[in-house]
Amino acid sequence: MKIEALRLFNVKRFAGRGVAIEGIDDGVNVLCAPNEFGKSTSFEALHALFFQAHTGTPQAVQALRPYAGGSPQVEVDISNGDGRYRLSKQFYAGRSARVTDIGSGRLIAQADEAEAFIAELVRGGHSGPAGLLWVRQGLTGIEKRSKSEEDSEKQIRASLLESVQGEIEAVTGGRRMTEIMANIEETLGGLVTATGRPKTGERYAAALETRSRLEAEEQRLGAEVVSLRQALDQRAAANRRLSELDNAKEREERRRAIETAQAKFEAARSQAESLRTAKAELRLVSEQRETADNALTSFRTALDRAATLTRSRDEASRAHEEAMARRNSAAAAVATARAESDAAETAQQEARTLLERLDRAMRARETAERLTELQDKLATAEDLRRQTEEADAALKLLALPEDAIPRLEKIDLEIVQLRALAQAARPSVEVAYEPQAPGVALDGHPLEDGVPRTYRGMAKLHILGVGTIALNSGATDAGDDRLERLVEHRRSLLDKLGVEDLTAARRRQQDHSRKQGELRELNARFSMIAPEGLQALRQDIAARQQAVSADDPEPEQDPAQLRAAFDDAEQRRQNARSALREAEPAQTLAADAVISAQASLAGIRAELAQAEAIIGPEALRAEHERQLHEKRAQLDAALLAHRQTVERLEGEATDLQAAEATLARLRSVADSASAETARLREQIAALSAEIRSRSDEAVEEKWRETTEALEAAAQRVAAYEREIAILQRLRGALEAARTNARETYLRPVITELRPLLGLLFDDVAITFDDKTLLPQTILRDGQEEDVDRLSGGMREQLSILTRLAFARLLARDGHPAPVILDDALVYSDDDRIERMFDALHRQARDQQIIVFSCRQRAFQQLGGNVLHMTDWAPQS
Amino acid sequence: MTFRFIHSSDLHLGKRFGQFPGDLPAKLREARHAAIGKLAEHARSHGASTVLLAGDTFDTETPAPDVRRQALAEMSHHAPIRWVILPGNHDSLQAAQLWATLHAEAPENVTLAVDPEPIELASGVVLLPAPCTFRRPGKDLSEWFDNAPTPDGAIRIGLAHGGVLNFSEEDGGLDVIAPDRARRAGLAYLALGDWHGGLEIDPRTRYSGTPEPDRFKHDREGEALLVAVPAPSAMPEVSSVRTGTFSWRDMALDLLDGDDAVTRLDALLPEPRARRQSLLNIVASGRARLEGRSALAAWIDELRPDFAHLELHDDALETECDAGDLDAIDRAGALREAADALLAESEDAQLSQAERDIARAALARLYAQAQVIAP
Repeated sequence: MKIEALRLFNVKRFAGRGVAIEGIDDGVNVLCAPNEFGKSTSFEALHALFFQAHTGTPQAVQALRPYAGGSPQVEVDISNGDGRYRLSKQFYAGRSARVTDIGSGRLIAQADEAEAFIAELVRGGHSGPAGLLWVRQGLTGIEKRSKSEEDSEKQIRASLLESVQGEIEAVTGGRRMTEIMANIEETLGGLVTATGRPKTGERYAAALETRSRLEAEEQRLGAEVVSLRQALDQRAAANRRLSELDNAKEREERRRAIETAQAKFEAARSQAESLRTAKAELRLVSEQRETADNALTSFRTALDRAATLTRSRDEASRAHEEAMARRNSAAAAVATARAESDAAETAQQEARTLLERLDRAMRARETAERLTELQDKLATAEDLRRQTEEADAALKLLALPEDAIPRLEKIDLEIVQLRALAQAARPSVEVAYEPQAPGVALDGHPLEDGVPRTYRGMAKLHILGVGTIALNSGATDAGDDRLERLVEHRRSLLDKLGVEDLTAARRRQQDHSRKQGELRELNARFSMIAPEGLQALRQDIAARQQAVSADDPEPEQDPAQLRAAFDDAEQRRQNARSALREAEPAQTLAADAVISAQASLAGIRAELAQAEAIIGPEALRAEHERQLHEKRAQLDAALLAHRQTVERLEGEATDLQAAEATLARLRSVADSASAETARLREQIAALSAEIRSRSDEAVEEKWRETTEALEAAAQRVAAYEREIAILQRLRGALEAARTNARETYLRPVITELRPLLGLLFDDVAITFDDKTLLPQTILRDGQEEDVDRLSGGMREQLSILTRLAFARLLARDGHPAPVILDDALVYSDDDRIERMFDALHRQARDQQIIVFSCRQRAFQQLGGNVLHMTDWAPQS
Repeated sequence: MTFRFIHSSDLHLGKRFGQFPGDLPAKLREARHAAIGKLAEHARSHGASTVLLAGDTFDTETPAPDVRRQALAEMSHHAPIRWVILPGNHDSLQAAQLWATLHAEAPENVTLAVDPEPIELASGVVLLPAPCTFRRPGKDLSEWFDNAPTPDGAIRIGLAHGGVLNFSEEDGGLDVIAPDRARRAGLAYLALGDWHGGLEIDPRTRYSGTPEPDRFKHDREGEALLVAVPAPSAMPEVSSVRTGTFSWRDMALDLLDGDDAVTRLDALLPEPRARRQSLLNIVASGRARLEGRSALAAWIDELRPDFAHLELHDDALETECDAGDLDAIDRAGALREAADALLAESEDAQLSQAERDIARAALARLYAQAQVIAP
């Protein structure tokens, strides 16, 4: 936003008239005029337009009104990115606020809407630090303050810390924020510690303590009340019970009941006694009757038994006799069989003897025939022996030494070889005949065409028609000796053998082999006839001749007949044996049957004797039985009578145990009633003591009181908790806002401020704490100085620079706002002012700065756009 | 001849009021004792011979000895007025010790109606009492009235303690008294106790209410009934007499946006002298601005010493807040930032009601603080 013109009417000293400051430009604008010329009035009017609602009449508005009264009227032309607008406000009578578009003259907004438009301008999109940009005579803000406060401005601004801090904290809520925070902290501190725990000794902790104390108290008293009520209930129950028990009528009833029960019990006891006696008698009679019954029964049994046994005895005797008869007949059968067996044995013996004799005669005939055969064999064997001996002798004549034939063959081979050798060493003659040529003979033998012929030493070649040609080889025949010796040797050898030549030798050997075969055949035949030799054969013959020599009978009868007779005898013997073997066991069985029949008979007889001993002689038996029967009938009658007696008594008897139990129960009822009465009296006494003491303590009243107090205490604690929550929430909100403001503005402002400081204070360096953003140290000429020791001039310069820095920040955020200075530099010396002007101009490159000053001379140096006040009256 | 008597109940003598701080409990307790004297005074001035106490004369089954003795002494002092004390649920017959002691200590003019048997109050006037046997009897103890024998022509007056239908000071159960008992039993009048606010069930059946209020529930002054029975079948003439010392009230303060809460409150309050004996709960509802709310709270704080007890309940009071209210905190800067944040939070539907309430209260507190510390 930029201010273009300011007009005011009927404001303060301009009663009934108006002034206008037109042509306010970008950059530095200066309105220099002496004091009381209306600068401050203009400043205040401008401020009111922006910050005072047209409807209200707060002090700031009242201050605008001339003494004469009337309605102050302020008008400002502004321009911003959206366009150019005229803002006008009239206070008091005819109050109004209007915004018109300067270009079109159109009314854009009025009344509250106009206020909202203006507020939006100064808020600049941020939560408005716009107030910061207004600086007046030694003051640092437009904050309202009391007169005395304004007077003590010097003291308030005594330190640089506050100077800068003060400007900046207008953003962070400033003094009020600090105070509110302090108040909250104080209140909160009175409740909880920094960590949020109840603070000991303070109200909240005390409330908590009260509550827990009351809780414990309430529980204790509640328990006491419960126990008191229980005691009351118990005592009431005990009293009720006691009055029931102690009732005289009931006591009498109990006594009478016991007496009745006692009488009943006695009666039952005597009845029980008679019953027991009757039962004993009944038992006795019952036993006697049992005995009689037994006697009768055993007599009758013995009688039956005797009859049965008599019949058995007769049967046994018959069986015994039969067995005897069977034994005797079996013995006769055995004797007959044995006689037949003996006869058959004898016959068989005779037949066997005859048969043996026949066998001997047959064997003797056979031996004689064998001896004749052996004697023939001996004769043949002796003949063969003689022939063998002859063949053996002939063979010996034909025999040659074993190696004779091979030796001869070897010598012959050598001779042939030697002869061939000699032949090869000799000269040879071969004739190739011409046709019709006469034949040539060598040593008499014609030479054939083309056939070589040898010769030894000297030879004669005879050619027909030519003569004889002597051929002399000139060499002797050297190998002939050996050949001749070999031929000689062969000769002697042949002679020794007695053969002509090798062929003859071989023939002789073949004869020898043939003769050998004949000899082997002879030997084989001999072995066949007399395998054990002649001697053995001769001995065999001699032995047989001896055996034959004994006198052997000739067989008399037909052997077949004899054998059949023997077989018959044998058959007869075996049959007889079988018959005997069959008869013998029958005899044994019959004997055993006799023995067993005898034993059975003896047993029956003994038993019969026993039975007869019981029943006595036959004549007395019927009488005896009648007596026994009569006795039993008598006892039966007695038993019935006794039984009836017992039954009657049992029917009459009352239950003794029940009577006794009733009596015992009634007695115990009475006993326990008196015991309970005593116990109840004790219990009531104890309870009464307890109740009395608690009643006197008024425990229930205390309990109710405590319950109510506890409820109140709990509410109080809840109220404190809510209070704490509210305070904590408020503190949180405030801290968050302050932190946010610091983050949003302070840090950037410090950043903006640093170059400006450098511009103004070349000899001073100010450092800021990054965290608190407060000036920390001042270095002047290398000396560290106390931050409080800044001059007034320096403080106001810092104040202006801070605002300039702020304005820059706003401009940079896209919300440029004018900086308005009303005699802001009163303490600064000229040198400093010039530097300050430099700073202003530097800033003013992108910033509108409006300076009101009375120091005309000094501000001539500032330059910039000089503004003038002109008379003005509103239209209409 | 007309029979006149005072019907009262629920004196709750000895009640301690532990919920209040300071000496108020003692005063309240003393006021209960003083009710005896007031009842006697009314009896005397109206020519009533008898005071019927329909139960809960004592607050507990074991009242402190001083409570008991001083009560009896006070009653004795007012002879020949006859006092009939009926056991109620707070002082039922289960408290045998109490009744035994009372029996031993009671003066001649005090009758203990501890048995369900007719009592002759005057010639031709018979009282049928239904004493509470237990804290919770579990049955209608007045049933025996129906067939209770009384001389011909006698005025029958019933005396009972407990709820009618489900209408009881404490949780009702089986032990409800038949509401038409008076008609059924031919009673001229049935004097009931238990309900602490006076109440007419029918022309012959009434709760007297307590002579000295002890809670905020009923919004009635302490009173007793003066009953005149001209004849057995005649309608009783009943009038209320004032007995209360302290007044207990819940006062609704319904505000609209723009109402001046302080003015509205002042219009409701009793005159200054009566405040000393007033216990007031101001229950604020409706809507108020930060300023109004703040002012109301401050005004209550200011007024509190006037009263025996004064409490503001503003949970139901919605806070209205607009830009003007926020401007009153600050037009700009961090304070305004904080105020805006709290306002947004108090209207944030995402948050729980409790969190919104806290935020709103924090905003109100900020407003109040900002007013104290002027810009």
